[in-house]
Parts: sequence; C-alpha cells; structure tokens
Amino acid sequence: MNELLAHYGPFLLRGFGMTVLCWLLGTVGGMVLGLAIALIQRHSIAPVRWGLRIYIEAIRGTPFLAQLFLLYYGGPMFGLRLDPIPAGLLGLSVYSSPYFAEIFRSAFGSVPIGQIEAARAIGMSEMSIVRRILLPLGLVSALPAMVNFSIVLTKETVILSIITVPELMYQVQRMSAETFRYVEANLALALFFWGLVELISRLGRRFETRITKHLIERT
Amino acid sequence: MFSWTTFWESFIPLLWAARFTVLVSGLGIVLGLVIGALICAGALSPWKPMRIFAALWVSFLRGVPLLVQLLLVYFLLPVIGINVPALVAAVGTVAICASAYISEIWRGAINALPRGQTEAAKAIGMAPLPQWTRIILPQAITMSLPALINELILLVKASSLVSVVGILEITRASQAQAATTFRPLEVYLAAAFIYLAINLCLAGVGRWLEHRMAV
Amino acid sequence: MTIKNTLKAALFGLTALGVSAPAFADQLADIKAAGKIMTATDMHYSPFDMIIDGTYQGITKDIFDEVSKELGVEPVYQDIPWTAELPGLEVKKFDIIIAPVTITPERLERYAFSLPIADATVGLIRSANDTETKAPEDIKGKAVGVQQGTAQAAQLQMFGDKIGGITMKEYGTTDEAYADLATGRLQAVAGSLPNLAYLVKARGETFALLEPTTFGEPKYFAWAMRKDADSASFVEAINTALLKMTDDGRMKAIQEKWLGVNPVLPREVPQD
Repeated sequence: MNELLAHYGPFLLRGFGMTVLCWLLGTVGGMVLGLAIALIQRHSIAPVRWGLRIYIEAIRGTPFLAQLFLLYYGGPMFGLRLDPIPAGLLGLSVYSSPYFAEIFRSAFGSVPIGQIEAARAIGMSEMSIVRRILLPLGLVSALPAMVNFSIVLTKETVILSIITVPELMYQVQRMSAETFRYVEANLALALFFWGLVELISRLGRRFETRITKHLIERT
Repeated sequence: MFSWTTFWESFIPLLWAARFTVLVSGLGIVLGLVIGALICAGALSPWKPMRIFAALWVSFLRGVPLLVQLLLVYFLLPVIGINVPALVAAVGTVAICASAYISEIWRGAINALPRGQTEAAKAIGMAPLPQWTRIILPQAITMSLPALINELILLVKASSLVSVVGILEITRASQAQAATTFRPLEVYLAAAFIYLAINLCLAGVGRWLEHRMAV
Repeated sequence: MTIKNTLKAALFGLTALGVSAPAFADQLADIKAAGKIMTATDMHYSPFDMIIDGTYQGITKDIFDEVSKELGVEPVYQDIPWTAELPGLEVKKFDIIIAPVTITPERLERYAFSLPIADATVGLIRSANDTETKAPEDIKGKAVGVQQGTAQAAQLQMFGDKIGGITMKEYGTTDEAYADLATGRLQAVAGSLPNLAYLVKARGETFALLEPTTFGEPKYFAWAMRKDADSASFVEAINTALLKMTDDGRMKAIQEKWLGVNPVLPREVPQD
C-alpha cells in the first residue's frame, strides 16, 4: 500500500488538480454561455429564439461522450484540430451551457413581473433592469439548481479521459490497469470526488444563506 | 471518409439496446421522484435527526460517482449475502442517486419562496395542509420544472453507466459496434440521435407542463 | 495494515458469520453441479470478443465453447466492462474472466492465469498513406498511441527509450488510439498483433501494418481466475482442456479461422 501510494499518489493528485481545473473553467464557461443564451432568448425576435431552442435541445439531449468524441476525433475532418485540454474545456463549456441557460430562464421567469414593470415605470433602462433587478433576484432562485448542476458536471469531467486529458479518471484507470488494484483505485476516485462535491455544496449553501437572508428575516 | 452505411446500420443494434436505456431511466425517474420527495420532506422537517439523515443521504449520493455506487451495490452486497439481480441493482442505484439531486432541486425551490406568503396564509387562518397544497407546492413545482427536466435528461444519459453490471444499453452497444466496425464517429453520431429522440420527449413533456402550470 | 487488507479482513469476518460460501468448497465441483460456467468478457475487443448482428462471436468464444465441452458444462457469456471484471471475479459473480489479458509478473501475483490462448506480442500500425514510417525503428521522435496500463505500453516505452525517444500517448482503449491515428495526431499505434492484424484487414484503406510488425519480447494472452485453494482444480481443468485442444488441432483451426496464422503457444504459463 505504501509503495502503491508513493508511486501513484503524485499521479492521482496531479489528476485531481487537472479535474478541478477543467471543472472550474468548464463550469464558468458554461455559466457565461448559458447566461448569454438566456438573456438573448428574453430579448430577441422569434427566429433567434427558435434557433437557440434547437441549440439547447440538441446539446442537452445528446451525451457528452458522443459530443466530445465527435469534437476531438471528428473535428480534424473539418479542419478543427484541437489539443486535448482546449478541446475538453470547449466541450465542457458547450455541453453545460444549455443546462445553465434553462436554469437562468426559469430563474428570470420567477422574478415577479410587477418589479420589472415598476422599474420601467420609473424610467429604468432595459440594461439596468437586467443588471439591478433580473440578475440579483434571479440568482437567488437559480442558486440551488446551479450548485446541483455544477456537482453533476464534476462527474462529467471523467469523460475527458477518452481524449487523453490526464485528469483523475485517466490516472485511476491507468493505476487500475497497471496494478490490478481496483479496490484502491476506486476508493481514491470516490474519496477525491466526495471531497470536491462536499466543498462545492458547502460553499453553495453558505452563499445561499447569505443571499436569501432578506426572505427569512422576520420583523 | 464518413461511412453512411455504418451510420445507418448502427441504428439496428443501438435501437435494440435502447430498450434498456428507456427501462432503467424510466423506472429510475419514477422511483427517483418518489424517493426525492421523501428526502426533501426530511430535509425540511422540524425534527433534527431527520434533517441530518437527509443531509447525509444527499452528501454521499451526490459525492460518490454513480459508477462507484453501482460497483458497491452489485459487487459488495453479495459479500454480506445480498445478491441482487443486475437489472434491480441498476434501477435501484440510479433511482437512489437521482433522488439526491431531485430533493435538492425541490428544497431549493421551496426555500426560495418568500416567507411572507406562508405568513399571510397563516394570518388569514389557513391550515398547514392547504398552505402546502395550495400555496407552497404549486409554486415550487412550477418554478423547479426546468431544473427538474434538466436533471431527468441527465439521468437518461447517466444510465449508460449501468453497463458495468452487464446491461447492454445504448452507449455500451455503440462501443461494441465501434469496436467491430472500427468506425466510432459514425456509431457515436447514431447513438447521439437516439439519445436526442428520447430526451426530446422528456423536454416536450416538461414544456407542456410548464405551459399548463404557468400562472 | 493496508486498506485492502482491512477490507478483506472485514469481508472475511462477515463470511465467518456464515452468510457466504461453506468451507472446503471446490469451484470445479460447484460448476459441474450447476452444469454451467459463468464467464465475463468485454465484448468490444476484436477479433477476440465482438458482438456482430447481436450475437457474441470471436476467438475467445470459439475456444471457450470447446473448453466448456471438455468440462461437460454450458458456458454463460456476459458482457462486462473491464472496470467491473476483477471485482466481479473476486465476489464470485463469475468463475472466469475470458477477456484476453496479457500475462505479466505483477498480475500473476494476484490472479491465476490459464495457459496462453493467443499471441499478444506488441506490434505497430501506421496510417495507410504515410510513406515515412515503415519499420518499427522509424517511430523515433514520433507520436505513438497505445492503450494505457497495458503490457504493450510497457514494451513500447522500453523500445522507445532504446531507439532514442518517442512521444508516447496513452489512451483508455485502443479504439480511441486508432481514431487519433486516423486524425493524424499520431503517426503510429502500438498494440498486440492479433488486434492490429484484424484492424488492418477491416480498414485497409486507412491503416497499414509496419514491416516487420512486431518488436520486443513475446507476450501472450490468457484468461484470469481466482488464485485460491478452491479454484486450483478448476484452473487445472481449464489448462488440461486447452492442452488437449492444442494437441488435437482444434486450437489451430480456430487461430487460422480468425487470424490466418497459427502461433506456437507455450505449454506452460509463462512467468515473466
């Protein structure tokens, strides 16, 4: 066990670091894209909305494995030749964007229409309505779903191993194949993920209590 | 380069395997919704042990990858004398894992409702049960629908992991097909279309419910 | 105490409570009593294990069908991803892993192996329109793909060091390495000879074998079983059946049917 840890420990740690990095950048990318999609859907003409709807359903409805495989191994047929990590980050961002877009859409829908009408009545611009009413209020109701989906995304990063991104799953598979020590390998996989997910959900809850204070505070 | 023949021919074995994807994720969704509602009730319960149980449930099931959960159920339970058939292990594990995510979605939606509403209901003398059935739940369910549909679509795709217990579902069948034809691009593209068809049905139901329930 | 041992101790503790198998069990006797033998293999490893038109086919199946006849039992074939095969073997979900596994000393420490069922010596393929990479030595300085953690990967590494360095890229399965050879990111892919030969036969317009194809030490594919006293007679029975098939020509017929050649397989389990 000590030998095993000494040999594979550094690989697993590095793999975990890569997993966290890909997850973080992919999630942020997906949130930004998703927010943009949700806002454009709200403020544009019907054909654009339909186009975005098709994008959402097509990306959301197909597995990440297939998308990533087609992007990385199929892309070169169309002149799109990416290295594993950029391909992984692009893939994760695109894959997660429709989920975030849907979360934001429903969050914006939950903002009471009266608030927006009141803001218009006092002459607020559409831009500041988005910035000062839609986003802050929408975020409150979107947060649990955003945290929930971010947690799902941690697990989707394991698929990056098929395009040789040296993340945790890649290292675990390698250790498992070389040593046949599948118990230790799977244990490591579970512990690393549990730690990461616990951290994300704690941070999420703390943030949630902070921004829902006004809903709970009593007179 | 792209072989249309392989692409079209892949649909036969993949559609056949789709039976299991639909079966496992369909049962997983139904059971997951029921267990998720119970866990959500636990998380919101005034009784502390119940809340702790719900928190542990969510933490463990969201934290440990579904793949490892499946390995635990199918390969560790036999050691203590519980030998579950593959399909039961698959459906059960998927449902239990989904329940953790579903309960969090509902908990979030319920918590996001302004307290003033229940206080107002109390003030006009509404009993606790109608407070839930007429004020809290209808709003929370409507609000959480898009997130819920997101989750259910993820569940359909995550059901591919049940191949570790020997169930030949779409993803597994496509790997087998890719390995014999040596044309993975064509096969995965076909698989993507089948998943898309299943998920469009789910998304359609979601949109329909959203329109019906919109106030 | 290692975690593995702690787990094992816990498991044995539970077994001692009488919830599991009785003492002095004999796997072979159990199999014969049940009349069937439970197997596990990863059914996407051409030409050994494949699903064609919905049915399981390949070298492994042909050999194991005959072995089962020798044992007088019915084989039950299950498609189990590699991740789950070793755990399943240990908790007795199946009797034997018939996915071809390359014999290595580390693996021999943990599992019992059958006699070799096929050649697994490492070879190389290139893109069909690549005219620069012809012999194995030509891969010097080039990007070469291989399945991660395999005995073939270790051989490739050694060979690469010897000829002055290569860029080795490891993939989860050989299928992804083949796909990346097709994209041009790789200039060669290393794998075991039978797999490569079958691939080139199926997609000759895209891939070609290097000449000479193989390098490094001879390696062999075999089947993995549990390494405990209960299983000793079962391992023995499998090996007796394999030897009998080699002697009466059935093994030769199967190898020639799928690979076109009949490799000389050792009559003892190689220890290195």
